[in-house]
Amino acid sequence: MDNRSFVQRFIAKPEFGPLVLLILEIAIFWSINPDFLSPLNISNTLAFTVELGLIALAMTLLMTSGEFDLSVGSVFGLSAVVMWTVFNTGLAPLPVAFLIAIGLAMLIGFVNGWFVTRLAIPSFLVTLGMLLIARGSALYITDGFPQRTWNAEDQWLAQVLVGEFYVGGFRVYMSLLWFVLFAFLAHYVLTQTKAGNWIQASGGNPNAARARGVNVRRTKVLLFMTSSAMAAFAGIISSIRTSAANPNSGTSYELEVIAMVVIGGTVLTGGRGTIIGTVIGIFILRIMRNGIVMVGVPGLAYNIFIGAIILAMMALHSWLERRHNAGT
Amino acid sequence: MIQELVRMQNINKYYGRIHALRDVSLTVNTHEVVGLLGDNGAGKSTLIKVLSGAVPMTSGQIYVKGKEVQMKSTTDAIANGIETIYQDSALVPQLSIARNLFLGREPVKGARLFNRLDHDAMNEVARTLLKRVGITKDIPPTTPIGALSGGERQAVAIARAMHFESNLIILDEPTNNLGVAETQGVLRFVREVRDTGHSCIFIAHNIHHVFQVVDRIVVMRGGKIVADNIDPKKSTIEEVERVITGEHLIEALGLDHG
Repeated sequence: MDNRSFVQRFIAKPEFGPLVLLILEIAIFWSINPDFLSPLNISNTLAFTVELGLIALAMTLLMTSGEFDLSVGSVFGLSAVVMWTVFNTGLAPLPVAFLIAIGLAMLIGFVNGWFVTRLAIPSFLVTLGMLLIARGSALYITDGFPQRTWNAEDQWLAQVLVGEFYVGGFRVYMSLLWFVLFAFLAHYVLTQTKAGNWIQASGGNPNAARARGVNVRRTKVLLFMTSSAMAAFAGIISSIRTSAANPNSGTSYELEVIAMVVIGGTVLTGGRGTIIGTVIGIFILRIMRNGIVMVGVPGLAYNIFIGAIILAMMALHSWLERRHNAGT
Repeated sequence: MIQELVRMQNINKYYGRIHALRDVSLTVNTHEVVGLLGDNGAGKSTLIKVLSGAVPMTSGQIYVKGKEVQMKSTTDAIANGIETIYQDSALVPQLSIARNLFLGREPVKGARLFNRLDHDAMNEVARTLLKRVGITKDIPPTTPIGALSGGERQAVAIARAMHFESNLIILDEPTNNLGVAETQGVLRFVREVRDTGHSCIFIAHNIHHVFQVVDRIVVMRGGKIVADNIDPKKSTIEEVERVITGEHLIEALGLDHG
C-alpha cells in the first residue's frame, strides 16, 4: 500500500508547484500594493480571467489527447464578429445569431479534427492554417472595422452570458458562473468518466487505445469541436462585456492559453492533463498581468515574466517527472 | 479435450515485390503453447501481424473455432479472442494499472448521462488479477504503468488478456530486455495462461526460454514453415538451431564439407 504520508503525496502532485507559485505571487503583489486584494480589483481580474479560462479548459482536454489548437484566438474574434454581423444586419434574432456563431465554430473544429485525424497532418500545421483562415474571414467580413454591439443591453441572452450582479460589494459577471460550471464539468469528464479515460489513452498511447476499441479519431475530432466552440463562446462573452466585436480581438490568445495549460502541469505531448492545474495556471498568468501593473512595473514587461514562469515551471515539471520515474 | 482453436491456411503476404509469407498454414489447438522460432526476416513477425489484424494478408484464410473470420484490424482480432502482447506497446504509460486493464471496456455506474467510472470495481478486479499472474508485491492498482518494471507491464497485459477471455494470447518477444527474475516471472505467466485454458503463441529469440514453456515448436525460414511439430522434450536446442539456420539440410546433402 501507499506508505507515503499525505503531505508527501500532496507535494508529488503535478498541481503542487503551480499552487505554490500562485500563492507566492498573490502574497508578493499584496505586500507591495494592498489594493491588489481590493474587491474592485478582484472583480476586474475575474472578468478578464474567465474568458481566456474557458478556452484553457477545453484546450486542456484537447492537449491531454495529444493535440492542440492554434486557431482558438482567431475563432474567438471571428465568432463575435459573425454573431453581431448576423444580428445587426437583421438576418436573425440574437439567440439564433448566437447559435449560428457557435455552429460555425464547431464546423471549424470539425475541419481541424478531420485534417489531423484523417490526413494525419500535425495539429500545429492544421490549426496554423485555420488561424489564418479564421482571422482573415473576420477581417474580410467587417472590412477591418469593429461591429457595434450596443443594442445588446435589452437582450436576455446577453444577460444570461455576461449579466452582472452584486454579491456584497463584489460585482460578479455571469460569465464567472459559466466558467465555474465548465471547470467542474471538464474535471469530472477527465477524471471520472469513460470519455476521460479515452482522452488520456488517446494522448498517452494512441495505438494501444485503438487496439482496445477506443475510437481515437472520434475522441479527437469531438475535442477539436469543443475547443473551437469554447473559443467562440468566450469571444462572444468578451464582445458583450466590452461592447465591441473587433475582428482583431483574440490575437495571440492561443499562445497564452497554451501557456496557462502547460504551467498547470498538463503535458504538451499528451497523456496527462489536469483541470485543477489549468485553473491554477489561468490565475497565475492573469494575476501576473494585473499585478505587475498594480505594483508599478511597466505593462510592457509582462511577457518577460510570463516567459520566465513558463521556463521555471517546465524545469520543475521535468524534475518531478524524473523523480517520479525513478520511483521515489 | 484438445480442439482446433485457430487455423491459418495458405497465407501469402507480399510487401511490394517481396514475398514475405509463402503459403503458410499453421494450426493452434486449445490448451496449447506454441513456440514460434526463426531467424530475423524468416516471417515470424509478419505472420503474427496478419493474425493480429495489424497488416492485411494478400491471400489465404483464417479460421477461429472452425469459422472463417476477417482480420481487418486489431479490433477484429481482439473481438475474435486473439490478443497480441507486444512489449510495452499495448499499455498507456500515463494511466493507472486499473484504467489500463479496463481501457475500452470500462465499467460504469450511475444514471445514463451522468455515469462515471466504477473505480471500486476496477481496483478490486485489478488486485485479484495481479495476484493471479503472480505479482505478489503489493502494488496498488492506481499505480501508473510508467512506474512499473518491464516484467510487471507484461504481467498487466497478460492479466488483461486473461480477464477478457482471450482464447489465444500472442506474446511477441516478451522476454527481450528483461532481467533473469523478470523473465522467470513472464515464463510463469505463460504457464498460468495454459493452465487456465488459454492458448498461446510464444515468440522469442532466446531458444532456452522457449524450451522452458512450450508444448510444440514451429520453425519458419524464408517465409515458409519448415517444421511445425518439434517436441521440445524430445529434441535438443542444438537440433532446433540447425533447423532455424537450415544447417540440417546442408548436412543432409553432405555439402558442409564441400
